[in-house]
Amino acid sequence: MRKFLRIGAALVLCAALAATAAQAGPKKQSVVNLTFATYVWQPTTVAAVNNIVAAWNKSHASIQVQVVPVDVNSVHDKLLTSFVGGSAADIVHDEAADISGFTQQGYLANLTPLIPKDLKAEIPKPVWASVDFGHKITGVPIMSQTYNVFANMDLLKAAGIKAPTVASPWTWDRFRAVAKQLSTNGNFGVCWGLRSPTATIQTMSLNWGGQWNYLQNGRWVLNVGKGEQKMLTTIHDMIYDDKSVDPAGVGLSGSAVLPSFFGGKCAMTIQGNYQGQGMISQSPKGFNWAMFPPLKGDTQDQAANPQTLSISQQSQHKTEAMQFIAYVLNSQNMAKLAAGDWLIPAAPSAGTLVVKSTKHYGFWRNAISAVPKLVKANWVSLVPYARWKAEVATPAFRSYLGNQLSLDALIKQLTGGWDSIRG
Amino acid sequence: MTLVPEPRGFRSRRPRQRAGVGLSGAESLVLLIPALLPILVLSVAPLARGIYLGFTDSRAGLGVTTHFIGIDNFRALIHDTLFVNSFKIGLIWAGCVTAIQFCLALGLALLLSQPLHGRWLARSLALVPWAMPSVLVGIMWKLFFQPQAGILNEGLYRAHLPGSSIDWLSDFTWALPAVILVGVWAGMPQTTVALLAGVQSVSDDLHEAAAVDGASAWRRFRDITLPQLRPVIIAITTLDLIWNFNSFGLVYVLTLGGPGHSTELPMLFAYNEAFKYGEFGYASALGDAMVVVITGFLIVYLWGRLKETTS
Amino acid sequence: MIVSSRPKTARTAQYVGLWCYILFLGFPLLWMLSVSFKSGPELVELHPHLIPQSFTLANFGTGLHEYGVLHDAWNSFKVASLTAVLTTFIGVPAAYVLARQKGLISKLGLGWILLSQMFPLILIIIPLFLVLRDLHLTDSHAGLIFVYVVWTLPFILCMLQSYVRGIPRELEEAAMVDGASRFTVLRTVIAPLLAPGIVVVTLFAFIQAWNEFFFALVLLQTPSLTTLPVALARFVGIEGIVRLGPLAASALLATLPSLLMFVVIQRWLTRGVLSGAVKG
Repeated sequence: MRKFLRIGAALVLCAALAATAAQAGPKKQSVVNLTFATYVWQPTTVAAVNNIVAAWNKSHASIQVQVVPVDVNSVHDKLLTSFVGGSAADIVHDEAADISGFTQQGYLANLTPLIPKDLKAEIPKPVWASVDFGHKITGVPIMSQTYNVFANMDLLKAAGIKAPTVASPWTWDRFRAVAKQLSTNGNFGVCWGLRSPTATIQTMSLNWGGQWNYLQNGRWVLNVGKGEQKMLTTIHDMIYDDKSVDPAGVGLSGSAVLPSFFGGKCAMTIQGNYQGQGMISQSPKGFNWAMFPPLKGDTQDQAANPQTLSISQQSQHKTEAMQFIAYVLNSQNMAKLAAGDWLIPAAPSAGTLVVKSTKHYGFWRNAISAVPKLVKANWVSLVPYARWKAEVATPAFRSYLGNQLSLDALIKQLTGGWDSIRG
Repeated sequence: MTLVPEPRGFRSRRPRQRAGVGLSGAESLVLLIPALLPILVLSVAPLARGIYLGFTDSRAGLGVTTHFIGIDNFRALIHDTLFVNSFKIGLIWAGCVTAIQFCLALGLALLLSQPLHGRWLARSLALVPWAMPSVLVGIMWKLFFQPQAGILNEGLYRAHLPGSSIDWLSDFTWALPAVILVGVWAGMPQTTVALLAGVQSVSDDLHEAAAVDGASAWRRFRDITLPQLRPVIIAITTLDLIWNFNSFGLVYVLTLGGPGHSTELPMLFAYNEAFKYGEFGYASALGDAMVVVITGFLIVYLWGRLKETTS
Repeated sequence: MIVSSRPKTARTAQYVGLWCYILFLGFPLLWMLSVSFKSGPELVELHPHLIPQSFTLANFGTGLHEYGVLHDAWNSFKVASLTAVLTTFIGVPAAYVLARQKGLISKLGLGWILLSQMFPLILIIIPLFLVLRDLHLTDSHAGLIFVYVVWTLPFILCMLQSYVRGIPRELEEAAMVDGASRFTVLRTVIAPLLAPGIVVVTLFAFIQAWNEFFFALVLLQTPSLTTLPVALARFVGIEGIVRLGPLAASALLATLPSLLMFVVIQRWLTRGVLSGAVKG
């Protein structure tokens, strides 16, 4: 009797298992699970990303996406180990200048055949150029950043200085003059955190057409010509001749000079436009700040070096991943992300949405006005650039701005370093 | 360890006459295997392969194959100014930190063996860095060195001393000294403990006899304490040199090797080569070069030990 | 101690020296304590004070909730305790062999213990990463625990085998004469006598694993798995807007467990270190 009961129980169990397997089978096979590695860290952006992913998961039962946070300070290292370890996410959030290395190493999928036509049309050509590596596009731009002047409007008003407008922005000469005028009584016109000066210097030299890297006889060389030198000497002279830049802040990071700015030690500061977030969260009560449109040299051009979304070559579901990317980058979602991170969305249509929806109208209008000024910068997509920037440029620029290196010696170091790294 | 009284009825007999008391080869193996296996798989084998990688062109990349390239990496290393720089910084760092640590720890050890009130506080504080991850030590000192909201600059400002506006960890001249200071602080525990035990093990009788004979405190220290401390000093100094040369976490958090490579220790340089640029072969070659230097330290240690045993 | 008539100046000099040391050793800790109790606005003021002007406990709350320090602490605790238990379990028999066996194996073993402390981690980390990848153990606590066990074993073996040496052979011999097997001897004779040593060693392994940074940095990618030191390094940030208050508070919370354990074992630890470093 017991034997029969046992066999019977076993049979029932097997049948139940088979039934659940049969039910679970087809359902499981049709769900594609994607991982999305992102380094967003500002609380507003993190919330925006989570909302977008949740909305996607709700409306796309067969393609489920999971967010994998990445530490913002070691994005490259973490991504590299995940690629080498074979555990990379399907969708990878990075930056245009950073993905050139991964592209060359073959870790990123070629997106050219996958990008939907309307997404391609939405984003301006110069921005696409920053993720184009020899006609192989490995990233979709999301949002960009520019460097702008932030000013303490109370101090400016007291000196009778009017703010620039989008229609008539300040030139560098005007900026220098104002800075000099406001440097009195132990205070300075400008606080400028130049601990990581390379991006600032290079992008702003585009105001004078300084592209730094040029194609010569099929090879990319580094030329520190008139345009490039103009930016270098301008900053140097502002610190040492005009004495309008606080020397104590020159070795600090951008965020670290904010206390001096809030404390009234300096009337203006040059920051990435995302620092609007810092203004709001850290400034004392009643602090009257404003962000100006980009400064003008010969032009207001700045480098297009956007944050990007890429698909890893090791991903098994590239088409589905692209569907998700297209969703994240539709106008509404792009606007939400940009607003959360205080960055400029890659698509102008999203830009309009942000301006409409925000209460910081002045800031956003000036920020979005920079979109037509974003141009292709030659150095962004070059493979030796990452190493040159970290090992040669940043230390050399810092020495020069610390007055420990002459301009000629700086040029020698920069070009020599480039040649030896490029090989 | 307290000595346990002998069991009843025991009489000493020569071990060789006892069957099965000494460990047999089989028994040893069985007892060792749980430790041996992981060590072989996760320590010895990777180490051997790591040393070998220094002679290859291994790098990151999808579908990239590794080839043996002999000493090409080492040829490139010698011409790499950043490599030479990191070794220079590494030797300066290891030398300075070890030397300063030794002097401070010796002073503390001597003080701790005096009957002073409050020495329990000093002893506990000296051990605290041991309990903290190097990252935490880094964070703590970063707060201390903070240029605008840190206490060091504020203290200098109030005392009307120069340097109150220096950003220590970002200054080309001051970053390395600042980082060395932190290294000394972080390494106090092991050196102090070793030297303290050494100092306390010096027999009091010798000191008393010398004091009776009229020897001053300094003479007693020089002629009695120091010679007896020699083995401890040699051991702990060599270990400190090696540990300091290999240091990574502390400087990673403090300066990441900056500004401008002025605090870039060899391990940091190797880490960047491996995990920023994916140059695995090159980074391993650097590791091999570090091993050569460390072997040098070891040889000095063994020579010192040899001298001591023969003297 | 010699009761000599030390001149008063010498004694005063000694006290000055002692308190200089106490200041040097304790001040950074005190400063971190001070920062952790300060409010946000006070921390960006240009002239900071030692004693917080705006005392607040909010930073601890932020560290725990917003930064999720508690979760990382739990990860660290999990990894460290498993490491400690596993290391001791494996280490005791091995230490026994190394202490009793006078042959080649124990010489090699002791040699390995010394050498393994000396190799720069960069040589090991890349092949280790590849080995773990093939075993599918990267980015997992299991893989990290295995690595930690292997990494703490040398020091543990060093300490344990010197403890074992302190146990008279005669006890084992007597037990074996009475017919006990090797394992019974280990269990009933050696282990109880080794108990204080085992406690010290387990706690030490815990502290080592709790504080470890480099392996955790490279091997763990998923932030939900990270251990405390890696999480804290994340907060230091270069261009990000770093909030010093929660950072200091989280750092303090992170030190507490290992600090407490350390207080417990410090006496035995120093003894163990010495026997290893000097005689080993």
